[in-house]
Amino acid sequence: MSDLVYFEDVAVGEVHRFGRYPVTAEEVVEYARQFDPQPFHVDDEAARQSMFGGLIASGWHTGAMFIHMLCEHAIPGAATTGALGFDDLRWLKPVRPGDVLGVETTIREKVASRSRRDIGVVKVDSRVLNQNDEAVMTLTSLVLYRRRPLPPAETTGAT
Amino acid sequence: MKYFEDVQVGETEVLGSHTISEAEIVAFARKYDPQPFHTDPEAAAATIFGGLIASGWHTCAIMMRLSVEAARRVRAQTTGSPGVDSCRWPRPVRPGDTLTARSEVLETWPSRSRPIGFVRNRVEMLNQRGEVVLSLVGISMFRRRREELA
Repeated sequence: MSDLVYFEDVAVGEVHRFGRYPVTAEEVVEYARQFDPQPFHVDDEAARQSMFGGLIASGWHTGAMFIHMLCEHAIPGAATTGALGFDDLRWLKPVRPGDVLGVETTIREKVASRSRRDIGVVKVDSRVLNQNDEAVMTLTSLVLYRRRPLPPAETTGAT
Repeated sequence: MKYFEDVQVGETEVLGSHTISEAEIVAFARKYDPQPFHTDPEAAAATIFGGLIASGWHTCAIMMRLSVEAARRVRAQTTGSPGVDSCRWPRPVRPGDTLTARSEVLETWPSRSRPIGFVRNRVEMLNQRGEVVLSLVGISMFRRRREELA
């Protein structure tokens, strides 16, 4: 038997803290040049003169750094198979070069699929925190978990 | 210049299109979302997706790129976003898919404390078969016309 965490094993209310993602100016600019080339994400000088007072990460870059921390720390060992999406994403504070991000997740709710017996949806409230423990981004992810496979004896006995 | 006052509820816009390659999917996923169904075509074939698919965060990033380009064309005076109410990835995005983004203005309201206004949009991305691969309701901020504030 594997020791993967399946849908059945996830406990509502469970809290996990993990991840350490140092934000660099180089990466902020690299991401933004490709996906979000607004002046306050790509141009140091223009950013200084903007309402943000300096270079800040694209909010979608913060999302990408968030999923990276999940891939490193939360997804290995979990029988997840992607996500349906997310709700209530808020970018609460700017993310700046030099910040070090981490994640805190809380299991909010489990919803068994009506159409599929092999998966369930777990709603996870996540907070992305900076080095001062300030939330820079919050969201509720709708994560797909596989259900625990039945042992062979029960499978054959069921008929 | 397109200010908050110029945004009309109900207006729709095609933001643009992008054809996504396997190399792009793998490069993004290796850096940010290294799950086997995003990074490894062979491993992906054995998953419920039956082949390589793009990270949902990559699809969102492409949507953002198309939004920025569209905003630039009309010189939209946007100034960031407080967030996204909901985002769904109803179908996988696969190598070679051509994604087209379109948006519709759902609601507008002025800020009480700052010279900006908020615009709630529905943004959808469709593949070349017209299937929705991303559906999102987000909020963007626009600057207001100075003369109206004076």
